[in-house]
Amino acid sequence: MNYKFPEDVKYTKTHEWVLLKEDVAIVGITDYAQHQLGDIVYIELPDVGMAFERESNAGEIESVKAVGEIIMPISGEIIEINTKIAENPELVNSSPFGEGWLMKIKISHKNEINNLISTEEYIKLVESEEA
Amino acid sequence: MVFKVDFIPHDNKTISDMLDVIGLKSIEDLFQDIPNDLILKTLNLPSGLSESDLLNELKKLSKKNKIYISSFLGAGCYYHYIPSIVDFIISRSEFYTSYTPYQAEASQGFLQAIYEYQSIITRLTAMDVANASMYDGSTALAEAALMATIITRKNKILLVEGIHPEYIEVVKTYCWGQEIEYKLIPLSLLEKELNEEYAAVLIQSPNFFGEIENVEDIVKTVKNTFPKCLIVHVMTDPTCLGILRSPGEQSIDIFVAEGQSFGISPSFGGPGLGIFATKKEFLRKIPGRLVGKTREINGEREGFILTLQAREQHIRREKASSNICTNQALCSLAALIYLLCMGKNGLKELAVQNIQKTNYAKEKLSKIPGYKILNTKPTYNEFLLECPNIDLFIKNCDELDLLPPLRLSKYYNHMKNIVLVCITEMNSRTSIDKFIQAAKSASKISMEVK
Repeated sequence: MNYKFPEDVKYTKTHEWVLLKEDVAIVGITDYAQHQLGDIVYIELPDVGMAFERESNAGEIESVKAVGEIIMPISGEIIEINTKIAENPELVNSSPFGEGWLMKIKISHKNEINNLISTEEYIKLVESEEA
Repeated sequence: MVFKVDFIPHDNKTISDMLDVIGLKSIEDLFQDIPNDLILKTLNLPSGLSESDLLNELKKLSKKNKIYISSFLGAGCYYHYIPSIVDFIISRSEFYTSYTPYQAEASQGFLQAIYEYQSIITRLTAMDVANASMYDGSTALAEAALMATIITRKNKILLVEGIHPEYIEVVKTYCWGQEIEYKLIPLSLLEKELNEEYAAVLIQSPNFFGEIENVEDIVKTVKNTFPKCLIVHVMTDPTCLGILRSPGEQSIDIFVAEGQSFGISPSFGGPGLGIFATKKEFLRKIPGRLVGKTREINGEREGFILTLQAREQHIRREKASSNICTNQALCSLAALIYLLCMGKNGLKELAVQNIQKTNYAKEKLSKIPGYKILNTKPTYNEFLLECPNIDLFIKNCDELDLLPPLRLSKYYNHMKNIVLVCITEMNSRTSIDKFIQAAKSASKISMEVK
């Protein structure tokens, strides 16, 4: 298993990563998730200004063989989306934790941070899915 | 009840084994959800016939058909001339199947035909993309409504009066299943009723009453106030595109039509062809199949493929925007051959003939005492005619072997004396004059009665 699991972010069970910066969360999908999807060909992100509840569907990532949903890791309003990946969706494959980030959320319920899981827990989850 | 199993490749032992597994006693138990009074108890069929006896029997039956020399019935299903080459080509064994090919990429010829169909529809409509076709105009319209709710993430749609009443029923059925709210309003109330909660406005033009709406103005009105609200334009006889401005030029978001007029016989009302076209920005939300052209990885040869399939139900299940995973392949092929055969000039000539012949009939009819043309807007090949004695008029038509026009009371109870007349290039001057004669003699008698 050669996936990257950065230590400075939190994770969800639905394979998103979350980088917390005060009341803003930067969200992307994990290295494991992009491996599972394969070559990504299209990404549909929500519009800036839209607000979603935690665990609701905020967008889609389509690869040559499947379609994955982008699940909101935390409730809030979309304040920025990564416009670069619309033109270059493969950035999510090559740099899931860097240039391939998806969106920034203004967190509306800070206590929901407790629902996110740690790097260690996420590694265990991936191990169990791999097995 | 005893089920005969002659044609089912299971013996009694296999059947009872299978029933054991699922915990049922008999095959009838599988049908317990069907109310008892709906289950067929006996099927009263005569004994078998030899081929020659059967042919005689069928000939006798066919004598019961009434053959009309000319039709004045439209209302969603139209008589247009079908060039012989259409049936000749679609009857070839390579093409003669009604479905999208399975193992699609192994059927390059058919995929190319679908690709050409998509291309010709985009040329005709000036829309960016067209799908491989759908069942008919009504389901295409309902799919368009669904697609609009998915694109806009709103669950209300506005239907403008003048949409074919049967199409409205189909849209309602789709809405019911998807928990989409709908409202049917007259065009005059559009501005008043529209608000930001609506995903789309659905409008038919030429509408069910034959009138050509000013679609461009309607688009402007809607988009000025609610730029995100989508406009779905539907038509039942797209031969009018030979002369009317295309939906693409009028900034329509989703265009759908019944394609039966393109080389498909009216038969008994079907099969039809659902034409579906939209803007490029909505490509990923389009229902149904799409055929694309591609190039071999190691080589220069071009090939055709089913593309963007991740949208489709067989991959996405409940998340797909539509559960359509096939197309109306044979009918779309007929439409393709028809349009190729007609060409740009042919289709224009056809549309002009439809308008001219219709105008000729309108003018003559309006001069008969007691008759009135009810349309206030321009018409294509259909119009509303108020009759002094509708029953007699229709009887006269029938006696002259003219398929009578539609009584509007079939759909609108209060429109007792109104017929929807359809005149196409198939109606000769002689037959139109006969039709006018039928009207005249229904006018005199009713006046004498008065």
